[in-house]
Amino acid sequence: MNPDRYQHISDNTLLEKFYADKDNHWLGILLQRYTMLLLGVCMKYLKNEDDAKDSVQQVFLKAIAELHKYRVEYFKSWIYMVAKNHCLMKLRDRQGKAPAMLNEQTLVIEEEVLSAQAHLDKDRILDAMTRAIEELNKEQKQCVTLFYLDKKSYTQIAEATGYSMMQVKSYIQNGKRNLKIVVERLIKQQ
Amino acid sequence: MNKDLLNILSNSSKDIDNQQLMDYLAGKLSDEEKHQVELQLLNSDFMNDAAEGLETVKDKKDINVFVDQLNRELHKKLLRKKQKKQKRKLLQQRWVYAAVIIILAIVIATWLMIVKYQALKTK
Repeated sequence: MNPDRYQHISDNTLLEKFYADKDNHWLGILLQRYTMLLLGVCMKYLKNEDDAKDSVQQVFLKAIAELHKYRVEYFKSWIYMVAKNHCLMKLRDRQGKAPAMLNEQTLVIEEEVLSAQAHLDKDRILDAMTRAIEELNKEQKQCVTLFYLDKKSYTQIAEATGYSMMQVKSYIQNGKRNLKIVVERLIKQQ
Repeated sequence: MNKDLLNILSNSSKDIDNQQLMDYLAGKLSDEEKHQVELQLLNSDFMNDAAEGLETVKDKKDINVFVDQLNRELHKKLLRKKQKKQKRKLLQQRWVYAAVIIILAIVIATWLMIVKYQALKTK
């Protein structure tokens, strides 16, 4: 099957086509768009190529069965949730621990927080951001500034600062998360 | 104030296509392109997890081989499901045909019996 033939069709349209005639052909096109990403997610959690491949197949089967049962609105977030939960379950079976699962509600909450921010005055957010960035620790501030303001890549930042790639990535990720928290706090105080 | 600061809060994630992600992992992109991919990775947990996982595949060439295998399997499974569904439909149709034939046979037999009975009666 040539996926390029359907490239112009969005995920939502493919889902609509499937819900209209219940033909699994549409699900095939939709799911194979995410094969590589799903393989990556399964590799990240299971850390084994064979387990990851098996899991992608199981995620496909689960997705096909579930999509026949109910309507899905945000396919990309949904399939990520299915895959991540599947891997966490597998890890739980391996380690006997119950990890925190993703659910659709957490995905929706994230979207709502973002849209709430979109309504705020940009100058107010910008002002809060400028103050918040000063509250970050030295490493996070340095990496966040080089990445978002100087538009450097992780490799360039690692070279400029002497940190490892992993450190750069984690300083930026944590810096971003901390900035969001501080900005929300500052905006509420205003 | 630098407006680029707003990018930190923005979660707009343009989709990275598979080829772009592979090129990123293979270190084939320019610094500017790398930055663009990394920006999208920071905005999407899905993409970020995927990139981190794919990075751990020992031989990056295997990724495409695995993806092709998985896609082939997926389509095989979907085809099998479709054939099963069609077979079930055909089986159901067969039962309908059989029922119609049996009912018709009963009706004809009853009619024949009535005709015969009436013929005997008139004699």
